[in-house]
Amino acid sequence: MATHTDSETQSGGVLMRDRLVRRVGEFAAGGFVLAIGGLLVWILTTQVNGRLLASPLIAGRFFEAFLLVVRIVVISSVLSVTAGVFVGLGRISTSPITGRIATGYIEFFRGTPLLFQLFVIYFGVPRLWATGEFPFQDWAVPAAIIGLTLNHAAYVGEAIRGGIDAVPDGQMEAARSLGMSRVMALRTVVMPQAWRNALAAIGNDQIILVKDTSLLTVIAVPEIMSVFRNINSNQLDPWTPLVWVCVLYLAITMSMSQVVDGLERRSDWGSDGGMFGRLSRFSPGSTDDGGES
Amino acid sequence: MPTDRRVNRRQYLSTLGAGGAIALAGCSGGGSDGGESSAESGDEGGSAEEESASAEAESTTAPETVTIGSDIPYAPFEYRNEAGELVGFDVDIAEAVFAGELGLEYEFQETAFDGIIASLNNANFRIIMSAMTINETRAEEVDFSDPYFTAYQTVLVLDNGEITERADLRGVDVGVQRGTTGEAAAEDLQAEFDGELGIESYDQITGAFDALLNNQVSAVINDNTVSAAFAAENDGVVFLEGDGVAADRENAPDYLTLTIEEYGIAFRQDDDAFREEVNGALAAIREDGTYDEIYGEYFEG
Repeated sequence: MATHTDSETQSGGVLMRDRLVRRVGEFAAGGFVLAIGGLLVWILTTQVNGRLLASPLIAGRFFEAFLLVVRIVVISSVLSVTAGVFVGLGRISTSPITGRIATGYIEFFRGTPLLFQLFVIYFGVPRLWATGEFPFQDWAVPAAIIGLTLNHAAYVGEAIRGGIDAVPDGQMEAARSLGMSRVMALRTVVMPQAWRNALAAIGNDQIILVKDTSLLTVIAVPEIMSVFRNINSNQLDPWTPLVWVCVLYLAITMSMSQVVDGLERRSDWGSDGGMFGRLSRFSPGSTDDGGES
Repeated sequence: MPTDRRVNRRQYLSTLGAGGAIALAGCSGGGSDGGESSAESGDEGGSAEEESASAEAESTTAPETVTIGSDIPYAPFEYRNEAGELVGFDVDIAEAVFAGELGLEYEFQETAFDGIIASLNNANFRIIMSAMTINETRAEEVDFSDPYFTAYQTVLVLDNGEITERADLRGVDVGVQRGTTGEAAAEDLQAEFDGELGIESYDQITGAFDALLNNQVSAVINDNTVSAAFAAENDGVVFLEGDGVAADRENAPDYLTLTIEEYGIAFRQDDDAFREEVNGALAAIREDGTYDEIYGEYFEG
């Protein structure tokens, strides 16, 4: 520790003392946890109505909403990632038509609120038919899936484009020099790496998609927030149903984090974890440098 | 939320001698109208809200601003006209009661109906005027003024012959506004039909009306006056016919009525003195004809 003290006297002052900074950090974090934990315990003991919390009627209503949200999330998630790949490919297209259309798509769906998009689809589109003639009777859930898919395809598309851009140009050049077509090189060489690069951003976006389902309450989808609002306005007790809401959303988002982590580990063949990883990480760079210099 | 006191340039105000109240926002002191309120207004002004709860004698006669929580739009009770000005039955009653009778300033604050009682008790505003039906559950949380309006829960359907009587509602989806007595009436009907009734709850009543036009629900259960305003604007929409609970009542609508309800102004439970004042003012505007004038403007002819 003598070195630390020495360096402190030279320059940097207190911030040079690693152990002290570490202790302060631990103290702050511990204090934070204690304060929040205490508040939570206090709320749970004084505000939450145990009988209402355990009521099978309420549990049933929340569970039904939970299943609906999971269904909507799974479908919109698959659709938006699939569509997002095409949006991302459109973004890097060398054709000016495709490129501009993809850019316009992203600008629109990223640039307007999801709430607005949901209103357009749920309230606006059916009004294109005469009164009472709109053919889909239960439009709320389909409208929700369409809205979430269109919106999140834009974000996934940008993540994919970022992932592709992050792949060194040499990868494409090397593949082309082996006689591959551009499309084939993209599919077999660039995209697997781009996918890995984009995965964290896509996972992040899909978790936001889960939380975005809370907006669906305004188009009469009986999802989790909607159940909360109904119970709160009947029972005039916010905290008890809020506990349910918190637990259910975390159940979805945390298991989704697990899935994303798993996918990232699976595709993490490029890290410095093993021999192959080390090779594939460094060789493109050195090839690149060698080729250019 | 922006308020708009100036919209209500109605004749009755001048008859009350409260012309000052409408001239300019901020100019309507307690002095512009005579009567009981200005007599007491000598106390210190400022934060009269707290005082009124503790000291009944001082009451609330300082020219303070009464903030009114309301779920807007809910035509014809509170909604914005094409110019964006706040108008409606509740708005005019507020003008007559607070500006006219009590010499207070007031402003409307937009809020969601489903959390409106909690907001009141959290002191986000002082009172609720939002076409709110007096019922027991709500009365446990808030105190109501004397009723100032009678409403009936009614059923709106499309005029396509698919639903022509009460029994036809079994098995269909109905739209309601979340947290309203319309929703409660729908739940009662659902129980009566052994669960064979789908209920879709919308944030605002306009959402439920849209859903009816968009073929998302087959009927909307809501207060008669609001539904009537909507039906009048849309040719394809009619009230469901039939004898309802209000069939024997005078002045009751001739279409199916599910329940009878009275609207009240909601107060926090520690606001008794102010509630008494408002009750007095409500009685006064009923007596001098102001109430009938406002009523006539929105609901007759």
